[in-house]
Amino acid sequence: MKQSNKTERRLQIISGALKLFAQRGFYSTTIPDIAGSIGMSAGNIYNYFPSKEILAQEILKTISAHLGQQIRRINDQDISSREKIKQIVKIYFDTAEKEPEMIDFFLRVYLSNREVFGQGCEGMICVNDFVTEIMIFFDDGVARGELKNQDFFSAFGLFMGYLGGMVFLAGEKILPQSLDAYTDDIATNIYNALKAQ
Amino acid sequence: MRLLWLSALSCNGNVHSLLNYPQYEQWQKGFEWLYHPLLPSLHTFEEVEDGVKGCDVLIVDGTLEQNLLKHRRPFSELLERYATEAKHILTVGTCATFGGIFAKGEAGRTGVHFCGEARRGEYEWFWQKSISLPGCPVQPEALAGTLSLLAAGEPIPLDELRRPKYYYAYTVHDGCTRNEYFEYKIDEHRFGTLEGCMFYEHGCQGTYTHGSCNKILWNGLNSKTRNGQPCMGCTEPDFPKEGLWSTPKHMGIPVRMPLGVPRRAYLTLAGIAKAFRIERFYKPLMEEE
Amino acid sequence: MARTRLELIEKIEGEAEVLYEYEGERISFAQIRFLNSRHIEKILQGREPLDALVINPRVCGICGHAHLIATVRALEDCFERVPLSQKAEAVREMTLSLELIQNHFKWFYLTVLPLLGLEAPIQRALEPSRLAGEMIALMAGQYPHNSYAIPGGITGEITPVDLLEFRARLERLKLLFRQSLIDVDLEAFVRCERIEEMLSKEGDLPRAMRHILKRGWERVGQSLDHFIVFGGGGLFTEGKSIGTRLQESINLRYLKEEALEGNAAKRVSYRGRYYETGPLARAMVLKTPLIREAHRRYKDSLFSRILARICEVPRLLRYLETLCDGLDLSEASYTDPGPFPASAQGTGIVEAARGSLIHRVTIEEGRISRYQIVTPTQWNLGNGTRENPCPAQKALMGLQRNDPAELVFKAFDVCSVCTTK
Repeated sequence: MKQSNKTERRLQIISGALKLFAQRGFYSTTIPDIAGSIGMSAGNIYNYFPSKEILAQEILKTISAHLGQQIRRINDQDISSREKIKQIVKIYFDTAEKEPEMIDFFLRVYLSNREVFGQGCEGMICVNDFVTEIMIFFDDGVARGELKNQDFFSAFGLFMGYLGGMVFLAGEKILPQSLDAYTDDIATNIYNALKAQ
Repeated sequence: MRLLWLSALSCNGNVHSLLNYPQYEQWQKGFEWLYHPLLPSLHTFEEVEDGVKGCDVLIVDGTLEQNLLKHRRPFSELLERYATEAKHILTVGTCATFGGIFAKGEAGRTGVHFCGEARRGEYEWFWQKSISLPGCPVQPEALAGTLSLLAAGEPIPLDELRRPKYYYAYTVHDGCTRNEYFEYKIDEHRFGTLEGCMFYEHGCQGTYTHGSCNKILWNGLNSKTRNGQPCMGCTEPDFPKEGLWSTPKHMGIPVRMPLGVPRRAYLTLAGIAKAFRIERFYKPLMEEE
Repeated sequence: MARTRLELIEKIEGEAEVLYEYEGERISFAQIRFLNSRHIEKILQGREPLDALVINPRVCGICGHAHLIATVRALEDCFERVPLSQKAEAVREMTLSLELIQNHFKWFYLTVLPLLGLEAPIQRALEPSRLAGEMIALMAGQYPHNSYAIPGGITGEITPVDLLEFRARLERLKLLFRQSLIDVDLEAFVRCERIEEMLSKEGDLPRAMRHILKRGWERVGQSLDHFIVFGGGGLFTEGKSIGTRLQESINLRYLKEEALEGNAAKRVSYRGRYYETGPLARAMVLKTPLIREAHRRYKDSLFSRILARICEVPRLLRYLETLCDGLDLSEASYTDPGPFPASAQGTGIVEAARGSLIHRVTIEEGRISRYQIVTPTQWNLGNGTRENPCPAQKALMGLQRNDPAELVFKAFDVCSVCTTK
């Protein structure tokens, strides 16, 4: 098989598995389920991913790379931290609306089934692309005097916890309006919490 | 080879540092001191002020100051006179090279060619025959060795600040016994211990400071970072910075990256290295097993 | 108008100028000038307190370590209480003592012997100095200019291997002392009280002292006969001695510093009087037998002054041995003293090679607002008046044409780089 075909197949598996994991959770999804959903044999999936755990880890890396790449584009622009926050929030909410399985996977599989990500995804390895870009965003903001210099996790938790919480509320259909309606307010709140005094 | 040592505003640390060169007695057989601030010399300082002949290498240490007067003649006059005659000019120590600590004492104090990182331009006419040997103090091997290479007529590759690469191509980090703690991002360090790296908390500048401190060990056997003191960056134009004992950080991320390492590459590697939490590095080195 | 002559004194640490005034062939007065200052005290203002540990060793290339220890003591004095292990304290004493030793060797071989016209092979200065440097480096990373003493202890951990290397070099240092300076049993020499016994030995010290006697210079260079020592606690004890009249308690409250026009060094006095500090003062306060005997015969002359400095070496070597023996390596090198107080004042005192060194720091809003350094040079080489001269001035006054004025002056171990204001 040609390399490009192989890569394509791999992505196909990841995207199929992502949908099922996000809907049903890690343990209720089997490799045959995934194989069925994309019209492939279970045996063939094992040619690409030796275990369900590794498949889940690869999905996580893919999401992290996808988000990381978009935030990197924001980081590379010469705009204020306030504007960057707005764009990051927008990307996050857009992803949650258009590709909800990505964020669902993050919240329902990665954060809920930590044991799956023990070996191979120690610390933040599998979300490194994403976290690195957030670090660069923080670093630049402080260097420009726009953000307060504080502990990384205090800032990171505030930012991500807030976004995750909103997506969760949206997913539970509790929010009266669509997510993007909250982008400006939330970006302002985050900025106010992070800005330099 | 005849050497003439002129000290501007100096603590004499470079003078004493050279005396610690382990092969000093053997080394000095190849040289003659027209003038040295402590050792027996061919001339007195007053004779040097009046003008002596035959200077092959002019060694300058200490910070320059406008209208600096050592005794009867302005220091600048002596500097210019002997720089004209000398084949090579060595600015020895960070004071003579970049201005150093004492440049912070008064406005207008500088090194010979630099004021911090900025080229002064005043002595452009002997820039081409000048070599920078910064350090507070200079490592004796760098001074003695450079002089020996010049005496032998060996070409010496220089960096853009005219520091000999043989001594300044390395970073102080190279060869530090605490390197593994840096590589695997073990960011705890406590003073008084053998373990840990001072890069994360205690201001160590070893990863971006040019020098051979951990390659050519001090006094033949140790270094500040091996001992547990952060590298203070004393060979660099911006020495001394402020707040020397703590690492400047933005939300936990060190502001200065290791030399030449892009921030994104560093953070990516750091994230991976940190994740593994390798047990060996969390145990005392000398714990009996 | 008196005849005057301006002389440059070089090959000290830096340079100084002496303006001699003559009455006939006799020096009637001498003014001492230090021309330049590097303004360390000013450089420290506004900085974080711990930065002083890096800046201050650079006060002096030959006694930077004394400045480091004085700094750390001043900073520790700012805390209510600093938990300092005996080990950390002992190691600091060790490195400090080694700095004195290298200083004394260099001074004797590079300054005194050449002025006496005696053979002075420089390796006799350099080898012991290098060894002392290595021993400091074992404990402190490097020499000169390290910052290993920090509030709460020392930065490094000492292993038995380090101590082994340290002791091996100490043995070598003792051997060098006997081979070059004076061939005596250290233990016995520390108790020796007979000048003739010292003179009868082999070595460069008795050779130099015999030469001084031969030239008839043993009474030359007598000074104020006032001695002061601020740094007690280690090998030395604090006190002041007017002649041999000892008073043990002194108080920094009575120390006064005054700026002088046209001079980079400030003048310093205690209760309005000038004092000599340094090895001779330390020996007078300690009542070291041999030096008391030299003083009884020749007063505070260059003979006593030179002898006192070199006689510190065997005492220091013995002290190093005692410190090594008492070192408990299982103790902590460092105990975190907690955050630096936002506002505080502290004083640190050290006996440096040339005498008492006093550092005083004031911290306001977490920054150094004032830093004051009083160096031994300010005591010994101050610039007083004709009626009330400072020690070195007094020693020079009255010298005749054939007297060794430069030797008298340099017997104080002159240092100009410690002008710090």
